[in-house]
Amino acid sequence: MTTERMIQTFASGLVRQTVFALALLAPGFAVAAESAAVTSPRVTATLLSSRDTVAPGERFQVALVQKIAKGWHTYWLNPGDSGEATRIEWTLPAGVTAGAIQWPAPKALPVEPLVNFGFENALLLPVEITVPENARPGERLTLQANATWLVCEKICIPEEGAFTLDLPVGPAGIADDAAQARIDAAIAAMPQPAGFRGRLAADGDKLALILPGLNKGLTDLRFFPLSDSLIEHAAPQTPASAADGTTLQLTRSGAFKLEAAEITGVLTFKDGGLPRALSLSADADPALVTAATGDATGVSAAPRPAVLRLLVPAEGANLTLWAALAFAFAGGLILNLMPCVLPVLFIKALGFAQLARASRAEVREQGLLFLCGVVATFLLLAGAVVALGALGTSVGWGFQLQSPPLVIALAVIMTLIGFNLLGAFEFGTSAAGIGDGLASRGGRVGAFMTGVLAVVVATPCTAPFMGAAMGYAVVQPPTVGLAVFMALALGFALPVVALSFAPGLLRLLPKPGRWMVILKQAFAFPMFATAIWLIWVASVQAGPGGVLAALVAVLAAGFIVWLFGVTRGTGGVRFVTSVFAVLVALGAGWFVVQSAVPPATTEARAGDMQAWSPERVAALQAEGRPVFVNFTAAWCITCLANERVALSRQEVKDAFAKLGVVYLKADWTNRNSAIAMALAEQGRAGVPLYLFYPARRDAQAEILPQILTSDMLITAAERAAGRDLKTAANLP
Amino acid sequence: MKAKLTRQTFIAGLAMACLSLGTGAALAQGTAKVGAPAPAFQAVDVEGKTRNLQEFAGKTVILEWTNHDCPYVRKHYNSATMQTLQKDMAKEGIVWLSVISSPEGEQGYVDAATAKELTVKRDAAPAGILLDPNSKVARAYGAQTTPHMYIVDPKGTLAYMGAIDDKPSSSASSLNGARSYVRQAVAEMKAGKPVSQAATKAYGCAVKYAPVS
Repeated sequence: MTTERMIQTFASGLVRQTVFALALLAPGFAVAAESAAVTSPRVTATLLSSRDTVAPGERFQVALVQKIAKGWHTYWLNPGDSGEATRIEWTLPAGVTAGAIQWPAPKALPVEPLVNFGFENALLLPVEITVPENARPGERLTLQANATWLVCEKICIPEEGAFTLDLPVGPAGIADDAAQARIDAAIAAMPQPAGFRGRLAADGDKLALILPGLNKGLTDLRFFPLSDSLIEHAAPQTPASAADGTTLQLTRSGAFKLEAAEITGVLTFKDGGLPRALSLSADADPALVTAATGDATGVSAAPRPAVLRLLVPAEGANLTLWAALAFAFAGGLILNLMPCVLPVLFIKALGFAQLARASRAEVREQGLLFLCGVVATFLLLAGAVVALGALGTSVGWGFQLQSPPLVIALAVIMTLIGFNLLGAFEFGTSAAGIGDGLASRGGRVGAFMTGVLAVVVATPCTAPFMGAAMGYAVVQPPTVGLAVFMALALGFALPVVALSFAPGLLRLLPKPGRWMVILKQAFAFPMFATAIWLIWVASVQAGPGGVLAALVAVLAAGFIVWLFGVTRGTGGVRFVTSVFAVLVALGAGWFVVQSAVPPATTEARAGDMQAWSPERVAALQAEGRPVFVNFTAAWCITCLANERVALSRQEVKDAFAKLGVVYLKADWTNRNSAIAMALAEQGRAGVPLYLFYPARRDAQAEILPQILTSDMLITAAERAAGRDLKTAANLP
Repeated sequence: MKAKLTRQTFIAGLAMACLSLGTGAALAQGTAKVGAPAPAFQAVDVEGKTRNLQEFAGKTVILEWTNHDCPYVRKHYNSATMQTLQKDMAKEGIVWLSVISSPEGEQGYVDAATAKELTVKRDAAPAGILLDPNSKVARAYGAQTTPHMYIVDPKGTLAYMGAIDDKPSSSASSLNGARSYVRQAVAEMKAGKPVSQAATKAYGCAVKYAPVS
C-alpha cells in the first residue's frame, strides 16, 4: 500500500516532468499532425490532427488519443457508479473554435457490485475545430489542449496532460491520410442516430424505456443514460417484447432526478452477433419530471407521485406570501365561529355592551388588551412550532393536542369555564383574572387573559383556509412563519376589537338584563360538550387510563376551586388552603402524566377503512383501485365534522363500494412522522387533508377541500375511478 | 472481558449474517432510501468496540465512506475541508462516523492502529471510525464511492444520501465555490425544513468491495 502510494507520487511527478519538457520542446519540434505524447504507466495520450495544413474557413477533426494499459479504464460522460469523465479545456487563437467531444459508445465495466461506464485499451475522442475565414495562408495556428482524465483499475489516478498542435494555414487543406483514416474510423464507429424516439414511463417504482422502432431479435440490450441520476447503473436491464417493439425495464436511481422532459443516452446491443450503438432521445412522461430545480428552492430527488392541484384551498407550499397571509387572516376570522370559541367571545362582547354605558375609552382599551392577549398566545404557539421543528420533531398545527396531558388540561379548562358560566363559582382576581375576562365587568389583566383563553380554546379547531396558510408557515423561514401566525391572530381578534371600537354595533345588542344571565348559563353547555369531546380524545390517545386521568384532573380542579371559594379572604387559613391546593394540583398532575401515556402503537380502528401507508397507496393504485385517503385526528373537530356530515353518509359509502374505492385512514391523533411527512409533501402542516388517487399506477392525487360534502366526494370518486356511478351500477 | 467481546462479535456477526440474508442476493444497491429507516448496522470501531446505529438514537449521525488513498478523498483531507466539516458537525452535536469498507489487500484497507494514526496525522475529528473489511455496512447502504455521505436523523430515518458537494472532481481547485450538500442538509434539518436535495449522485473512487463470502 505504501509502495503503491510511492509509485503514484513518482508517476504523477513523471507526468509533470514530461509535460514540462514537452512545453519547452514543442515549438521546435512542431510535429504537425500529432502532438507529443504525455505518458504514464497507465495511459499514453496524444492530440491527433486530421490535417497537416488547414485552409481558412474549413472545419476539421482533431482527437485526444488515449492508449490505456491493460486492466485500466477511463470514463464516459456519465461515468456510472464512480469515476469522472475525461475533459478538455482549449486555448485557441482568435477566431478558432472547438466543438464538444464526440463520445464513442461506452462499455459497462463491472466492479462488483458496482458498474462503471468507460473505455479500455484504446480511445479516440474527436473534437471538431473551425478555422476562421480570415485566417491567412502562411500563418500558423497553435491549438493548446489541457486534458484531465481519471484512470482506474481498482484504484484511481487522476492524470492530466497539456497538448499542443501547431498547424500551418495554407490556401487549401492538406489531410494527414493516416490520422484522417483513424479519426474517420472512430467517427464511423460512433453511436448512430436511432431514427426513432423512445418513451420513458413509470413502471411501478421502476422505469420502462419504450423503444418502438427497434427490430426484434437483438441481444445484449443496454441503455446508458447521459444523466448520472436517472437509473441504478448496476441493476439488470430487462428487455420485454411488446407489440410495437421492445421495452427495457430500468431501475430508478436512488438519487433520481429528471429535470427535462427529454432524456438522451446511448443504446448498445448485438445484432446478429455484431455490436451496434444508437444515440437515443426519449420523451419522459411529464409525471416523471421532478420539477425545475432552482438552486434556491432545491429539488427533492426522491421519486414521489406528483399531485394535481385542482380545488381550492390550494395547498400551502405553492402559496405566495400574500396569499398565505390572506388565507391566515380569513382562517382566523372563521375560527371565531367555532363552537368552543364562540361562547367566550360572545360573553366578552356582552361585557362590552354593559361597559359601553360606563366608559367607551375603557371598552377600547379592553379590546386592544384582548388583541394583545391573542397575538401573544399565537406567537407563543408559533415559537413552539418553530422551536420543535428546529429540534427535528415533526409537528404541525394541533401538535399540542397530540400530548394527552395537554388534552386533559384543556378538558379541565373547558369544564371550569362551564361551571363558571353556570355561576357555580367566581374566579378571584388573583386566579389570573380569567373570571374577570368572562364576567361582564373586567380588569385589564382579565381582558388580556380572555385573549389568551380564546386562543387556547380555539386550538382544537382548524378553520377552512387555515390549513394552507399554516402549511406555508412551517416550511418558511421563522420570520415569514411568524408573519403568517400574526395574520391568523389579527383575523382571530378582529371581530372583538372591531366591536370595542364601534359602539354603533354594540347598540344593536339588546339591553343587558336577565337574558344575559340565561344566555351565559346556556353557553356553559357547549363548553361541557367540548370537555366531553376532549376526554374522548384522551381515551383514544391513552385508553381507559386517559379517561381516568382526565376525570381525576377535573375532580382535583373542582376541589381546588371549591376550596378557594369556601376559604375566601381569611389570612392564615388562606395560606394553608393554598399549600393544600398546590399539593392536590401537583398530585393530580403527576397522576395525569403517569396514566395518560399514549400506547406505543396506535392500531387502525376497525371499520370499512384501512390504515394508511404510502406503500399501500402505491400497491392499490398498481392493482387498479382508486384510493381515498383521509388524514384525520380525533382532536380535529373539522375532521370529525366531515366524517359525520359527508364521509359516513350512506350514499357516499354506496358510491365508494360501487366504484371499488379503497378508503385509507391516516390517523394523526398521536404523533406520527410518516403522516407529518406526507402532510408536508402536500404543503400542509395539519389535518384535515383529503386525497383522491386515481386507479392508475403513479397517477396524481387530487386534493379535496377541507370542508366536504357527499356530492363532492361522489363526483371525486367517479373521477378517480374513471367511470360514473350509473355505469358502475350496471356492473355486477 | 475477552469472552464478552467474543460473544459480542459473535452476536454482531449473526446480526450481520441475518441482514445480508434479508437483503438478498442483489445487494449492490443496498436498502438505503431517503425517508425510510436507515439500514441497521453493526461494526467494530478502531477501539475494538462493536458499534451499531441504534446506540445513537436521538442524535443525528453522519456516515462518511472513506479510503485515504483515493484522490477524491485526498482532495477533501489535504485541503482540511473534511476535517473542518467534521469539527463543525461535532459542534452541532452530530455523531460523525467514518466507514472504511476496503477489504484487506485493497486500496484503503487499514488496521485499527493505522486508522488511528491517520486521524492524528490528518487532524481529523470523527466521533468514531468503523472498520468494515467485509464491506457489509457498505452493502447495507449501497455505498458506491469514496467519499459517499449519509445523514441519519435523530429518529433513525435516512435524511440524506449522496455526494459531499456539488463539484464532482478530484482537483483541489474544484473546492472553490463548491456547495456542501451535507452542510445544506444539516442546516435545513436544523431549521425544521425538509432536506431540499436529499439524494444526490455521489462521486469519487469506487468503494472496493470484498467478494460476497
